[in-house]
Amino acid sequence: MKIGSAADLEAVRQAGMQKLRPGKPRIAVGLATCGIAVGGNRVYERLREIIERDGLDIVLTKTGCIGYCKEEPLVNISIPNKPLVILHKVTEADVEEIVKQVSRGKVPADKALCRVPSWDHVTGCTLEYGKGFSKIPLYEKVPFFKAQKKVILRDAGLINPEDIDEYIAVGGYAAALKALTGMDPETIIKEVENSGLRGRGGAGFPTGQKWRITRDAKADKKYILCNADEGDPGAYMNRNEMESDPHMLIEGMIIGAFAMGAAKGFIFIRAEYPLAIKRLKLAIGQAREYGLLGSNIFGTGFSFDIGIATGAGAFVCGESTALVASIEGRTGRPHPRPPRLTDIGGGLFGYPTDLNNVETWCNVPVIMANGSDWYSRIGAEGNTGTKVFSLVGKVDRVGLVEVPLGTTLHTIVSDIGNGGANNKKVKAVQTGGPSGGCIPLRLFETTVDYESLNRVGSIMGSGGIVVMDEDTDMVDIARYFINFATGESCGKCVPCREGLKHALLLLNRIMAKKGTKKDIETLALLSDTIVATSLCGLGQTAPNPVLTTLAYFREEYDALVKP
Amino acid sequence: MTRKEASSTGGAKKQVTVTINGKKYPADEGEILLGVAVREKIAIPHLCYEPSLDPYGACRLCMVEVIKDGKREMTTSCTLRAAEGLEVVTDTPAIVKYRNVLFELYLAEAPKSEVIKEMAARYGVTKTRFLKKLDTTDSLGNKCVLCGLCVRACNEIMGAGAIGFVNRGPYTVVNTPYFEPTKDCFGCGACAKVCPTKAVEFEDRGSERVMTSWSGTKVPLARCDCCGGYYAPKALAISTLAHITPSLREEIAALCPVCRGRRIARDEILAGRGGGAGSHG
Ligand SMILES: Cc1cc2nc3c(=O)[nH]c(=O)nc-3n(C[C@H](O)[C@H](O)[C@H](O)COP(=O)(O)O)c2cc1C
Ligand code: SF4
Ligand code: SF4
Ligand code: FES
Ligand code: FES
Repeated sequence: MKIGSAADLEAVRQAGMQKLRPGKPRIAVGLATCGIAVGGNRVYERLREIIERDGLDIVLTKTGCIGYCKEEPLVNISIPNKPLVILHKVTEADVEEIVKQVSRGKVPADKALCRVPSWDHVTGCTLEYGKGFSKIPLYEKVPFFKAQKKVILRDAGLINPEDIDEYIAVGGYAAALKALTGMDPETIIKEVENSGLRGRGGAGFPTGQKWRITRDAKADKKYILCNADEGDPGAYMNRNEMESDPHMLIEGMIIGAFAMGAAKGFIFIRAEYPLAIKRLKLAIGQAREYGLLGSNIFGTGFSFDIGIATGAGAFVCGESTALVASIEGRTGRPHPRPPRLTDIGGGLFGYPTDLNNVETWCNVPVIMANGSDWYSRIGAEGNTGTKVFSLVGKVDRVGLVEVPLGTTLHTIVSDIGNGGANNKKVKAVQTGGPSGGCIPLRLFETTVDYESLNRVGSIMGSGGIVVMDEDTDMVDIARYFINFATGESCGKCVPCREGLKHALLLLNRIMAKKGTKKDIETLALLSDTIVATSLCGLGQTAPNPVLTTLAYFREEYDALVKP
Repeated sequence: MTRKEASSTGGAKKQVTVTINGKKYPADEGEILLGVAVREKIAIPHLCYEPSLDPYGACRLCMVEVIKDGKREMTTSCTLRAAEGLEVVTDTPAIVKYRNVLFELYLAEAPKSEVIKEMAARYGVTKTRFLKKLDTTDSLGNKCVLCGLCVRACNEIMGAGAIGFVNRGPYTVVNTPYFEPTKDCFGCGACAKVCPTKAVEFEDRGSERVMTSWSGTKVPLARCDCCGGYYAPKALAISTLAHITPSLREEIAALCPVCRGRRIARDEILAGRGGGAGSHG
């Protein structure tokens, strides 16, 4: 069936709602990669066995992940007219009891993490689940969730990512319908500009402006791309976004393609994300079936389709020019800009091309649905909207957290993350992956926005936050990241290829207590040189972990060297 | 339009004036600034620039500072294009500071290269603080700086694509695929010709040219029917003949350039005696 009109979309929405709220108990197991890794599949299988064995009238399905990694596997239960209940740390052994309770209209209270009486899906749909279970804590009272604001992860862990109907049920594709049938490209771009949305791939370039440049480029063909190469150690926001809610990415790209006049888009995704690739393929197939991709979308005469290109595990292929080279089948080595991707001759197959990060695209449907005014009120001046961070390392509550930009590191690490794991004291965080820097505890009042992080020597990057505690050796951390960057350098330019190698050798020497004060000076000068003279962003930012640890934890270096 | 077309100097180009170190110079609009500097004999060190190839920007030695709206920004002059009012300065304290570190990196990377030693010494760098890379199995004699000129010449100019980069990061080397002798090599020696550090080696052994740097790739040589000497790689000898008039082609096909010259001269003289060509009216 093709969705050609608002009425068609409404019909599918209602059918989808039947799946989300089938009028009988529904059990959904969190089966993103994270849930599967800790046994989610076994829980799912056991549930299936028992429900079948007893011939129970319970719907069993899978869902993505709500991001509370520490508490996985997560299972949510919705019983008609009762709040949705999220169970945590569920094992196969718990399943018998869960099913028993659910079939009596109850939930096992000792396994419950929280209850959700109603949920705002942000795309014009608030699901009212119901009242009751008052002994179970409310979702917004759970410390891990309290300070969060879910805009991008609006559906993650609640809908079945493998079923387009459920995405449509909570308001999905209504934004695309509105944009394609009710707005012209200029208005759409204005909206994105006014929203203040900035690229979530790291550099924070204004998205609306990039779209306008691409739209204005004079060429008979244009491409749009999605950067899903996510290679920072400790970062997995994009993975969860694609595994838990792939249609929001597709919908964002449809709107962008219409605004920029592109007929074809590609998602460049790393091959190490097989589940995300599988779900994206499934989602693209379903969108095609409904006519949301393909020719004459919503009967507007506009045609657009998406292809998937997989990367073979090179971090540098996330860099824009290397990414295009890789899709074209050439070696993923950056080249000097200009030409930029948006320039004639610089993009994919030589055509002007817009490249945005997964999460950047995922913001687009909510901006269209609620308007730029609404969006720009979230976050801070010049840093609007929310951002998903992966909070990992030596922090108590590991997980994916989504907060408005402008939230302090303190809120993220202490309030949401509950400080160090095993009651250790937190010493620093590393933001921005291998390109970022280490920020010491005394600067935790720093707000997380593009400019403030730069000021303290780090970057936002794609959203990894790695927590270090009192036992962490900061010189070793610097060495870890330099080792990573050395291995990922494409080898084209000398400061990055040779410079990082020698930085690593110097760090090894210092760590082995064979270094001198002079080695530290050489390391500092070498790092500055790599930043100032490298060809692409990889080299230009790779020394940041060294530079920031030298600035904030110099005493740890000094303690290791001879005078 | 491709990147190459954008940089081509063909056609009537607008003339612009650029300022280098406070002096004004004429240039074609869009011309590579390093090219202007080379023409005007302004010393900017460089290793990976070659006018006939696409801008590459890998050696990072050709840094200049662009002055714009009172601000200065460091950039490579081999990727910078001339535009009206463009102003740059060379050898600023920042450039000197960073470039000296780069020279030290080069001295460590290619410790056997005399060219690198001389170039670095010209800028006052004679020692390196970094561990020298000495690899006795390196087929490029510890002289290669990975400027990529050989790879690009082989690919973009010769169209052979016989050599490429192997591995990545600090393990990058230039060689044939899988370090095996390759049939794609013409044996033209363009790689050796463009190499700024004279790292690429080959030698002619009897009927074969051996590309010693490229995994011992062997290329058959053409033998002259007349003097019996081997004079050029067979593949090239044949492809050059394609440009010659068919009648002449047959006659000189199997001759080396020297014997070819002699044969043509002899034919001319014979023809002249016959009274055909030489009409001195
Ligand atoms: C070495 C390197 C790796 C990068 N990796 C990624 C990546 O994995 N994902 C990403 O979105 N951007 C990555 N970027 C940034 C992209 O080049 C580009 O700026 C971004 O995708 C643009 O999208 P945005 O405007 O939506 O942020 C990387 C940049 C560099 C220099
Ligand atoms: S900075 Fe590193 S990754 Fe970037 S072009 Fe240079 S060598 Fe390659
Ligand atoms: S062999 Fe010579 S031309 Fe080839 S990359 Fe090395 S230095 Fe450059
Ligand atoms: S538990 Fe799913 S992303 Fe962490
Ligand atoms: S000549 Fe400019 S980078 Fe090599």
